Amino acid sequence: MSTVDLINVRKSYGSVEVLHGISLHIADGEFVALVGPSGCGKSTLLRMIAGLEDVTSGEIMIGDRVVNDVAPKDRDIAMVFQNYALYPHMNVRDNMGFALKQRRVPRAEIEARVLNAGRILGLEALLDRKPRALSGGQRQRVAMGRAIVRDPNVFLFDEPLSNLDAKLRVQMRSEIKELHQRLGTTTIYVTHDQVEAMTLADRVVVMNGGVVEQEGPPLELYDRPRTAFVAAFIGSPPMNFLGGTMVDRSVLELKDGTRLQLPAPDPQNRSRVTIGVRPEHFVLASDGWPATVSIVEPTGSETQITARLGGHLIRILVRGRTDAKPGDSIRLTVPADLMHMFDSASAPEVAATEDA
Amino acid sequence: MTDAALARRRNHGKWKDLLVRWSFMLPTIVLLTAVLAYPLFYTLQISFSYFDMSIFGAGEWVGWENYETVINDYRFWESLRVTLIYLIIALPLQVALGFGIAFLINAEWGGRGLLRALFIIPMVVAPVVAGGVWRMILDPLWGTMNFLLGLVGIGPFDWFGDPQLAMATIIIIDTWRWTPFIVLIATAALLALPRDVFEAAKIDGASWWATLWSVALPLLVPIIAATFVIRWLGAVKLFDIVLASTFGGPGKATSVINLFIYEEAFRSFHFAESAAMVMIVLVLTMILTGLFLRGSRKLEELY
Repeated sequence: MSTVDLINVRKSYGSVEVLHGISLHIADGEFVALVGPSGCGKSTLLRMIAGLEDVTSGEIMIGDRVVNDVAPKDRDIAMVFQNYALYPHMNVRDNMGFALKQRRVPRAEIEARVLNAGRILGLEALLDRKPRALSGGQRQRVAMGRAIVRDPNVFLFDEPLSNLDAKLRVQMRSEIKELHQRLGTTTIYVTHDQVEAMTLADRVVVMNGGVVEQEGPPLELYDRPRTAFVAAFIGSPPMNFLGGTMVDRSVLELKDGTRLQLPAPDPQNRSRVTIGVRPEHFVLASDGWPATVSIVEPTGSETQITARLGGHLIRILVRGRTDAKPGDSIRLTVPADLMHMFDSASAPEVAATEDA
Repeated sequence: MTDAALARRRNHGKWKDLLVRWSFMLPTIVLLTAVLAYPLFYTLQISFSYFDMSIFGAGEWVGWENYETVINDYRFWESLRVTLIYLIIALPLQVALGFGIAFLINAEWGGRGLLRALFIIPMVVAPVVAGGVWRMILDPLWGTMNFLLGLVGIGPFDWFGDPQLAMATIIIIDTWRWTPFIVLIATAALLALPRDVFEAAKIDGASWWATLWSVALPLLVPIIAATFVIRWLGAVKLFDIVLASTFGGPGKATSVINLFIYEEAFRSFHFAESAAMVMIVLVLTMILTGLFLRGSRKLEELY
C-alpha cells in the first residue's frame, strides 16, 4: 500500500494543454474518485499515474518515489480498464496469472494467488473459461482479479462499470466497495457517474476543463459546493438554479419579474446572483414562492414534481406521496442553510434550466 | 374488400417484389454467366473432347482420354512439383516477412506514412514490367545485383541460368511484389487490435518479446490465416512473373503449372489436354482451399 501525490501535474498534446496543473494528495488506503464530464481530463490523469501517458510537467509520486520516468510495470500499480482489456485467447486463470508469469513467480505460487483471487471474486467455477464465454459482469470481475493477484500498491480503475447494465452496475459497485474495505489498497477510480463517485469514494475530486473544481468527502461536496459547476454536477436529480437581479439584499427578481423573498440575505451584496436549491430541499408550504405544477412523477418512496416558477422549470422531490396535480398552484420555501448562492457569471449550467 | 381480393392483392405484391429483387440481381447474373460460368463450362467441354482446329472448337466427345494423356505426361507432374516448391517456400516467407515488416514499421515515427506509400509501389507495377526490371537487375553480366554483391565479395551468380538459383530468383521477385500487400493487410490488422489489451500487457510487465509472442500473435492468428488463404489463391495463379523473367527455364526448373498449361495450349496447340490440366488444377485448388479455410476456422475457434 502506498500514498500517491500529484504535484502541479500538467499535460499537453502539442500546443494544447489539457491538464492545467493538478495537485492532489491521496493517503495510504484511501479510495479517491475522479469525477467530471467527458473531456475534463480525468482519464488522462489516471493514465498518467499508470504510466501510459507522459507527464508534460510536474511530478507524480507513488510512495516517496517520483515515478514520472518509471515504466508502468515498475510502478507497482494495477489497472482495471473500461473495456476490461482481457487477453481474449487466454482463459481466466491465465489472464489473472499473466502478470505474475512475466515476473517469473513460481508456478505453485501463481496458482495459489489466482485461486485466492478467484475465491474472493466468486470466479472459481469459471477459471478455465475464455473471456468470450463470460458475461459482462464476470469479465469485469476477471479484470479485477487480474489486478488483485498482483497485490499492487495502488489500484487504478478507469470507468470500470460503464459497459454494464444498470442493475449489474449497482451490484458491481458494492462489490468494488467491499473489495476495497477488505484489501484496503489505495484506489483511484475514474468515473463520469457522480452517483458512483459519491457512493464508493472516501473522497471525491470533481474535475472540469483540466482543473480540479473541488475535492472533499462526498457529503461535503453535496452540502457545500464551492462552484455552481460542482453544485450542478453532484446530486441526483440535479440542483435547480434560479438566476436574476437582487432588488435588495434578500429579494431576488427573476427575468420575468417574479420576486422571490430569499430565506437569507446575500452576505456579499452582489447585484446579480444565481441561487441553487436541491430538489429534495424544497418544502411545500402554505406560504412562499409561487409555482405551478406541470408534471407529477410518483415512484412510491418519493414523488418528483416538475413545476414552473417564474420563467423556470424546477424539480421538487417530496418524500412519500403528495396530492398535487398538474395545474395546481403550490407554494415553496427553502430552509436558509439549504440554499446556495453563486455569482451569476460563474454559473454556466443555469442557462440550461432557463425557459426550459 | 373481400378476403379473396386482399389475397390477390397480396399475391400481386409478392410477384412484384420478386420481380424487383431479381431485376437487381440480373446485371450480376449476366456478367458472372458471361465471364465465369460460360468459360468454365466451355473448358470443361473441351477437356472431354477432341479439339477440332478446323472449327477451332470442341469436336468429338472422347471421355477421359485427355485426362489420361495428361496424367501420363511426366512434364505435367514435373510442373506441379515446381509449383509446389514455389508455394512451400514463397507463401510462409511472404506472410512472415509481411507481418514482420508491418510490426516494425508500425512503431510511431515520422517517416511512417512515406514508408507505407513506398511499400505500395511493387503492387502497382505491372507484373510483366516487374519481371523485366528484375531481369535487368539480376542480369549476370551487367545487372546491379551481381555488381553490388561483388562489392562485398559474393558471387557472381547466374541468376537465371542455374536451375536452383532460377527458382530462388522467381521467389525473390514474387516476394518483392507481394510482401507489401501483406504488409498492408497486417498494418490494418495491427491498427485494429484493441489498444487497451496492449496497455494491460504493459502494466502487467510483459516484455516486447512477450507482448509479441503472447498477446499480439495470438490476436493476429485469424488474420494471419485469412491472409495466408488470400495469398495462396493468388500464388497458385503465378504466371506473369515467370513469363517475363525466366520463361520456365533453365530447362523446366521454373516451369510452374500455369506456364506449362499456357505453353501446351498456345504454343503446342494441345488445347484439349490443357483444358484437362486446367480442370485438374482447379479441382486441386478447390480442395486445398477448402482445407485451408477449415484450418483457419479451427484456428479462429482456438484463439
